[in-house]
Amino acid sequence: MTTEYWPWWVGALAMGGLTIAFRIFIGRPLGVSASWANVVNWREQREQIKTSEALRDNADAAKDSILAATLAEFGEVADAGTHNTTNETQLTTGKANRPVPPLAHLFFLLFMFVGSLLVAMMHGGFHLQLELSKLHTLMSGGELWRSWIYLMIGGVMVGFGTQMAGGCSSGHGLSGCSQLAPTSMLATVVFFVSASLMSLFFAAMVHL
Amino acid sequence: MKKGYLKDYFLYSLMGLCMGVVLARVGFADYDELHHMFIFADTRMFFSFAGGTLLAMVVFLAFYKKFPRQKKLLQPGTVPGSVMFGFGWAICGACPSIVFVQLGQGKLPALMTLLGIFIGVAIYRRIHARYFQWDVGSCST
Repeated sequence: MTTEYWPWWVGALAMGGLTIAFRIFIGRPLGVSASWANVVNWREQREQIKTSEALRDNADAAKDSILAATLAEFGEVADAGTHNTTNETQLTTGKANRPVPPLAHLFFLLFMFVGSLLVAMMHGGFHLQLELSKLHTLMSGGELWRSWIYLMIGGVMVGFGTQMAGGCSSGHGLSGCSQLAPTSMLATVVFFVSASLMSLFFAAMVHL
Repeated sequence: MKKGYLKDYFLYSLMGLCMGVVLARVGFADYDELHHMFIFADTRMFFSFAGGTLLAMVVFLAFYKKFPRQKKLLQPGTVPGSVMFGFGWAICGACPSIVFVQLGQGKLPALMTLLGIFIGVAIYRRIHARYFQWDVGSCST
């Protein structure tokens, strides 16, 4: 793509703004690996949503049965505590805990493609390329087919790694670090250092 | 497509669209730019990422009542998973979002990355259910 990239401060404003906007409009932290998990494991997610909807539809019935079971177990001692909203709070799913259908996550991912396509169309045009970059092909041993195999291996590592770590550069990096979550800060440092070490290794191999 | 979720579909699509535009304009889909960031030859993208995080951090701290902190659990997979992700990111030049941005720019090799990520996520689900079984926290839900 022959386009000039944004200067760092415009990029920072845009990325920060996106993280904040996602939190405001969606009601939960930005996390792309979570959307991947929802899409790939869509059957399980669909079942969870069905269960959640059934529970929400029968909230009153469920509340009554919990109350009956609590009274049966603890008698009148529990009666005083049943007038608060604990059960209601647990049964009424909030914005952050409300299940989102896998299709919405799929739209989220696919519209990244659309957004990028629009940018490519507006700046420098859209060109089909068989090579990720000359540098990548060079670092993969100079052959295109090998570069494609490397991409596949790298992709498996990214998919597996982000699920294992519980987040990616958006979930741990942008969202987690901005919330000062120690786990996310640790994960972000580790994946940045790992990526740097691997890139430095590739660079050294090319220059040998 | 359920009507009750139309708002979700719209908002997620809008956020995806914005994210695609932002990531493409920052340059994260460009393997050479990414490689130069990782070998410290160019700090532009790093500062974009760090600056964005800092901006969001300031806003979240300033309005901490509106944005309650989400729990991120430290579990046995955090460090090894991050190492694997970091290596993979350097090898294929893509994280789970960037692969779509690369495809939007017509980079066909990203199809291999897409397939790889799909396989990685699917395999992890099975391995986790059989062997790991730890709580991976809010990001995976």
